[in-house]
Amino acid sequence: MIVPAMPIRIVDMAGSALMILLAFFCMQRVIRLRRSDPDNLVWTYLVWLCCCLAGFAISRSGGHILKQFLFMAGQERLWADIGAAAGSINTFLLIIVAAVTLFFNRVRHVYQQISTDKQALETAHNELLELNQSLEKRVRERTDALVQHEKQMAHADRLASIGQLSSGIAHEINNPLGVIQGYTQLLLRDADEGSQRHSDLQIILKHAGNCKAIVEDLLNFARRSQPEMADIDIHEVIEDALVFIRHRSKMENVRIEKVFADNIPAMRMDEKKIKQVLVNLVMNAGHAVAEDGTITISTRFDTEGRKLMVDVADNGYGIESRHLSRIFDPFFTTKPTGEGTGLGLAVSYGIIKSHGGDIDVKSEPGNGAVFTVTLPVGKTALPGGLQHG
Amino acid sequence: MKSIRILLYISIILYMTAVEPALATQAHGAPEGLYAHQFSHLFFIFAMGILIYWLRSRGLVQEPGWRYLQYAGLFFLLWSVDAFCVHLLDEQFQWITVDRMDPWQIRIYAPDSALWLAPVYYLIKLDHLLCVPGMVFLLLGLRRLSRRSEAQRAAEGDGL
Repeated sequence: MIVPAMPIRIVDMAGSALMILLAFFCMQRVIRLRRSDPDNLVWTYLVWLCCCLAGFAISRSGGHILKQFLFMAGQERLWADIGAAAGSINTFLLIIVAAVTLFFNRVRHVYQQISTDKQALETAHNELLELNQSLEKRVRERTDALVQHEKQMAHADRLASIGQLSSGIAHEINNPLGVIQGYTQLLLRDADEGSQRHSDLQIILKHAGNCKAIVEDLLNFARRSQPEMADIDIHEVIEDALVFIRHRSKMENVRIEKVFADNIPAMRMDEKKIKQVLVNLVMNAGHAVAEDGTITISTRFDTEGRKLMVDVADNGYGIESRHLSRIFDPFFTTKPTGEGTGLGLAVSYGIIKSHGGDIDVKSEPGNGAVFTVTLPVGKTALPGGLQHG
Repeated sequence: MKSIRILLYISIILYMTAVEPALATQAHGAPEGLYAHQFSHLFFIFAMGILIYWLRSRGLVQEPGWRYLQYAGLFFLLWSVDAFCVHLLDEQFQWITVDRMDPWQIRIYAPDSALWLAPVYYLIKLDHLLCVPGMVFLLLGLRRLSRRSEAQRAAEGDGL
């Protein structure tokens, strides 16, 4: 059979040249692949495979091209010598490529195992780190809470001791004061109006009355007087307290903002005493903001804990941290002498405690203060919120 | 008795150390190279077949990069079968002989009983038509894998 030689020759020459060219491109690409992730064992395997394949392609194709040139030059005998060596190299490289290929599955399996172990180690490391951080945070939080709790306990103990002392003193003073007031009123009946004796007795009666008020405050602080409980609407009590303050104090320029929650149930409390607390807190806030400031009164209801919170916040000059621990002590005041007895907050503390609640203050100098009154809402209270106009 | 034993020992030693051509190494004739080359082709076919099987059974062919490598393996396998057949026809069994008539034409001789082997031989001589596409697919596969690996590395770098 006679056939044209050119197709075979062209395919052989062009194919060989292409094989060499492609082998170089493959090498370039596989090196880039390995550089992208040098730890990847599968890429290392591919480098080996491509190296052997490129070696084979170059050896075989180079041999073919050389053979064609030698045949064209009539050097068939020379090719017979070179061809044997080239063929041996081809055989050798072909076996290496095949041998390397057989390791593919094992290499991939090993790499997967390493990757899985690495991932597991990283996960465990991160979890440990997170646990450690979480533990440190929890210890810090618990320590802070403990310190805070200890401070509160110490404060409560101190106030209880003061209350006990005050209660004893007030009780002892209350009876003689009553006698003084009684006898002064008897003497006043006999004294002529407008006489020196009458005005002196009036002064005695007035100051005895002042003393009586202080003693009552002390008794309120010491929780000796039982609150008279009734169902009340806290928002109405707040409104009444504000009306009272507007009539009795000079707070025309102070802005009062109200943020009332609409889910507050009716509550059983002593209306007068709660009003007294609110008056005390708002008056204090008024003093703190001076003439031009804002007082915000807000109510919140914790449905889960069944607690009512009333916040009285001002944007005044705030309270220094050294005063915060003594703010509810009787007779403690930062006001100038004669402007306050220092019993307002102590009495408020006593009233709130007698209702089973708590009163707290948060303040930073220059950023105002927030007094929070927390009162328990009994289960007997009416369900649902009260309607406010 | 003792002297006989000594004599026997001396005889054995003399026999073993006598100067003779070494018989430990085997001479290799020309056909052995051809057999080794044909075995290498068979081994290569087996290795490529196994590679394709692993790529498919492990589900790696779902990724374009490995899929191209699978195609490369298939073309290399076919090329190796092709080359094995060529060696078998013209060198091992010597059923085919080729004469150069002139620079442009060749004559292919096939046995009278199997003349169809001549055109088959002519076709399978064009083995580059199989190995070049194999290399092209290998290059495409490597390109896809390297792009994916680089993108993955970049993503990990951004995530840190």
